[in-house]
Amino acid sequence: MKGYNFDTASRQSVKGIVVIFGLNIYKVLKAIVIGAAAYAIEIFKSDKGINIININVIFIVISIVLYFLILATLKYLNFKFYINQKHFILKEGILNKEETSIAISKIQNVYIKQNLIQQIINVVSLSVETAGDNITEIEIKALPKAKAVALKTILLSDSNIAPKDSNVTKAANSIYYKASYKKLLLEGISENHLKSLGFVIAFIVGLYDSFKDLITHFKFTSRFNTYFLLDQQSLFGLVLLNIALLILFLVIAFLFSLVKTMIQNFNLTVYRKKDGLEISKGLFNKISLGLVSSRIQNTTISTNKFKKMLGLYKLSFTQAMVNKKQQQKFNIIGLSKIQINELINTFYPNVFLALNKYKPNRYFILRAAFGCLFALLLVNIPIFFAPIGLLFLNIPIIILLTCNVIYAYRKAYYSVNDHYIVVGSGKFVDTNTSFLETHKMQSVALKQTIFQKRRDLATIKIYSASKALTILHIEIKMARNIYNFLLYKVESEDKDWM
Amino acid sequence: MFNNNQIDTDSLPKIEALDFKLISKNYFKIILLNLALSYGVIISLMFTLKQFIKNTFFHTNFWYFIIVLIILFLIQLFFYKLGFKKRKYALREKDITFSHGYLSNSTTTLPFNRIQHLEISRTFIARKLGLSTLKIYSAGESGGDIIIKGLPKNIADSQYAFLTHILNERV
Repeated sequence: MKGYNFDTASRQSVKGIVVIFGLNIYKVLKAIVIGAAAYAIEIFKSDKGINIININVIFIVISIVLYFLILATLKYLNFKFYINQKHFILKEGILNKEETSIAISKIQNVYIKQNLIQQIINVVSLSVETAGDNITEIEIKALPKAKAVALKTILLSDSNIAPKDSNVTKAANSIYYKASYKKLLLEGISENHLKSLGFVIAFIVGLYDSFKDLITHFKFTSRFNTYFLLDQQSLFGLVLLNIALLILFLVIAFLFSLVKTMIQNFNLTVYRKKDGLEISKGLFNKISLGLVSSRIQNTTISTNKFKKMLGLYKLSFTQAMVNKKQQQKFNIIGLSKIQINELINTFYPNVFLALNKYKPNRYFILRAAFGCLFALLLVNIPIFFAPIGLLFLNIPIIILLTCNVIYAYRKAYYSVNDHYIVVGSGKFVDTNTSFLETHKMQSVALKQTIFQKRRDLATIKIYSASKALTILHIEIKMARNIYNFLLYKVESEDKDWM
Repeated sequence: MFNNNQIDTDSLPKIEALDFKLISKNYFKIILLNLALSYGVIISLMFTLKQFIKNTFFHTNFWYFIIVLIILFLIQLFFYKLGFKKRKYALREKDITFSHGYLSNSTTTLPFNRIQHLEISRTFIARKLGLSTLKIYSAGESGGDIIIKGLPKNIADSQYAFLTHILNERV
């Protein structure tokens, strides 16, 4: 056993000063980067010597650095934590003193994370999440790893959960799954690159906006135009330019999603624990997330056409009382079909055996088609004003939308039984399956538009403490049956949802 | 359906058989006022803009814009009127149900054993008309809460007391 004593007030590691300082500087840099760039351009433009500015700039930079260094030191000196009578107590604040006290029994989750700075100086951050609020405010930024783990065990040692003998927990924490580099690479390659394309385009547009001055200054555009000057009059040149740009963007998008997947899921390891799973992953931001089975609300298996061929599935969990940002990280990628079934069976025993698939009404197709038609019209408004040749753009769009509608209907199904609600959904490429235990339902809604009413159809929405499940366009009789049945289950059993 | 359980779904308590209660008729005055206020703001903004904008297109078509706005107002009012009769609620032994919406009707039921907390709020005008809003929250993060606007104050208060009693008994 490690002899850490948390009964007396202790500070974080001295390295904490570096972490606080680094984070502050990072924030400042992030805030002023565009302004600084603009300033730099100004300097370039004016042919004044750099000497005059230099002294001022250096002085300002030094005073800023000094200010943040002192701030970080003071923050470090004034930050103390200890455990007293089953309460975790934090004291902080330089001028405004603040004391936070949390009953250990109220602590929902403890995260150990490591960002780049923390990795370099070999410390970890520990944040505590409590029931009731959506934001993790309590964070100790720098602790030696061993100390953080020791603190985590104490904080999570709720009186009713296992004795806190670290040997026992170690034995129970066996590695269940570790993603190989090959799997991560395949996952990255088979990502939905169109989604990252959106990101990349938004990013480039934003970048162009902030560096418009710079770009005009270096006369990029005029240089660019000369390449296409000869056929600029013809539509061909324009199309060629656009295709070239699109291909460039696609390549960037491809690399973006590949690198993003690799970095976020670097060293993805899943440990099996007595009451759930623990996921640890990340290259620059190392995180380790605990997954408690009783707190799991929604579980979704997702894959797409290419991933399915490669045998890659993703499992995402949502937990009650976890903030949104954290929520997105509760996923395991690169799982095989067998592993998925195994994991689902641990959290939802026998769910596949009891599956009884029903399909929505065909009105589903009509409704989806109408939605697409609207989108198509919207796309066509700018095209209407463009050269006539661009109308051909409609052909791939229509094909894509039609496939989307057909596959959305094909992949849609639902199953409701004593214990589980399962909803399948998807589009042309993606396929998702969501699971929810009936007793985790918070409330239920039956929705009916006047168009659905004419056809005796309705939509059911089942709310949980995280995401809601939606069963679209089913016969009203069936919808009412499900509605009454779910209420009966929740009200008669009186099981805890957490 | 439900092959897996022995419960006869026909014998379950039925949502369609519920006896719904309407909210206070006075609440329509608030709807009317809110709607008139928001359109009033837009229209008066248009009149202010008229003084500053030199654009001829804007000036020649000014009255058309106003007429369109008024027609939109009337259409919206018409649907609110139609939908007003659809705003209704019902209490059972173990849950509360609220239903609303004309073009898109939505019925939500919240079991008592999933209630997280309760709230009564009264705006200035609602106080004048003796109305209250009763809010019943579950732990649902993506919605699923019940908010009944335009309940007569005494009913809202007794409902609140009743639900609080149930909540206290649960613990």
